[in-house]
Amino acid sequence: MGTIITVTSGKGGVGKSTTTANIAVGLANLGKKVVAIDFDIGLRNLDMILGLENRIVYDVVDVMEERCNLSQALINDKKAKNLYFLPASQTKDKDILERDKVKKLLNTLKEDFDIILIDSPAGIESGFEHSIFLADRALIVSTPDVSSVRDADRVIGIIDAKSEKAKEGKEVEKHVIINRIKPEMVDLGNMLSTEDVLSILALPLIGVVPDDEDIIGSTNIGIPIINKEKSLSAESYRRISKRILGEEVEFLDIRAKKGLFKTLKSMFK
Amino acid sequence: MSLLSKLFGKKQSSASVAKDRLTIMLAHERVDCKLPYLDDLRNDLIEVIKKYTSVDDVKITTHNNQSVDMLEVEILLGKK
Repeated sequence: MGTIITVTSGKGGVGKSTTTANIAVGLANLGKKVVAIDFDIGLRNLDMILGLENRIVYDVVDVMEERCNLSQALINDKKAKNLYFLPASQTKDKDILERDKVKKLLNTLKEDFDIILIDSPAGIESGFEHSIFLADRALIVSTPDVSSVRDADRVIGIIDAKSEKAKEGKEVEKHVIINRIKPEMVDLGNMLSTEDVLSILALPLIGVVPDDEDIIGSTNIGIPIINKEKSLSAESYRRISKRILGEEVEFLDIRAKKGLFKTLKSMFK
Repeated sequence: MSLLSKLFGKKQSSASVAKDRLTIMLAHERVDCKLPYLDDLRNDLIEVIKKYTSVDDVKITTHNNQSVDMLEVEILLGKK
C-alpha cells in the first residue's frame, strides 16, 4: 500500500509546486514508484515545472468522472522512469472535486504506487480539504516571512480537523520545509532564521532550501533543479527525499560564506 | 544581532521583531474560538425576539477562516 503525502502551505507563492516537482523526481530517483498529482483545479502549474505540459490529454477530473481510464491520464516522465504525473483540470469550477470520487481515485493509486504526492492548492477551501483528507503525511512549506509562517500555522491547525486519519484516532505526520532562506539576511538579523520558524510552528524540520536564482531558470525550461550537481538547492531536495524515506541525513550547511568584508559589515550594521 | 549592536544596545533587528509579532499573534489566534459570552448573548437574543414573535430555539455557531471570525445565528420560530 502506498503512502499519501500532501504538500501544502496555506499561503500561495511560497514554492509548493516547485517543492512537489523536485521531491517527486527525488523519490523516483531513489527507486520509489511515485505519482505526483496536481490538485490545484483551474490553476494547473505542476505540469510546466515538470516539463510535461505538452503531453497532457486527460486530467484528474476526467479520471474521476470516468471519461477515461486512469492509465490514459497518467503521464510517465521520460527521464525519471519511476515518476508518473496526473495533471489538474483547467475547468473554471474549482469546487468540482467530490469527496467520494477523490477517495476512490486515491485508493486505486495506493495499490499501484509507493508514494502519492499531492500538490495542494493555496488557501483552506474545499480544494485544500480534498488534498488533505486522506493524507498519511503532510509537508508544510513556508518561507521565512510573517505572512507565510502565520498561514502555515493556520493550516497546521486545520490539517487534523480535516483528516480522515485523525478521525480514526491517528495523527497525520507533519514536517516543515523552510523555503527560500537567505543566509546572509539571517546573519544580519533581517530575516527569520530556521530556528525562529521552527520554534513558532513547533513541528519537526525535514529540510531547508536556500533561495536560489537557478530555480527560476529550471522552471523556465521545465527541468526540476534536483538533478543539477553542485547546486545547494538541488542538494537540499535530494536530502529531503531521503529523509522522507526515513533515512537520517545531515542537514545541509547553508550558512553564508563570510569574507572579511562581510564580517566587518555585519559588525557595523 | 551583530556584535556592535549588542555592545551598544542598538535597535532590535527586524527578524526578532517579526518573531515577537508572530508569537503574540499566533498565541492569540490559536485560542479556541469558544467564546465565553455566547450563552448570555443567546438568552438576550431570545428575549428580544420574544417581543415580536414566539421562539423555539436559537442556535449560535462559530466559524472562522483566515480573515474573518463569524457567528451564525439560527432562529427557529415557534408555532403561534
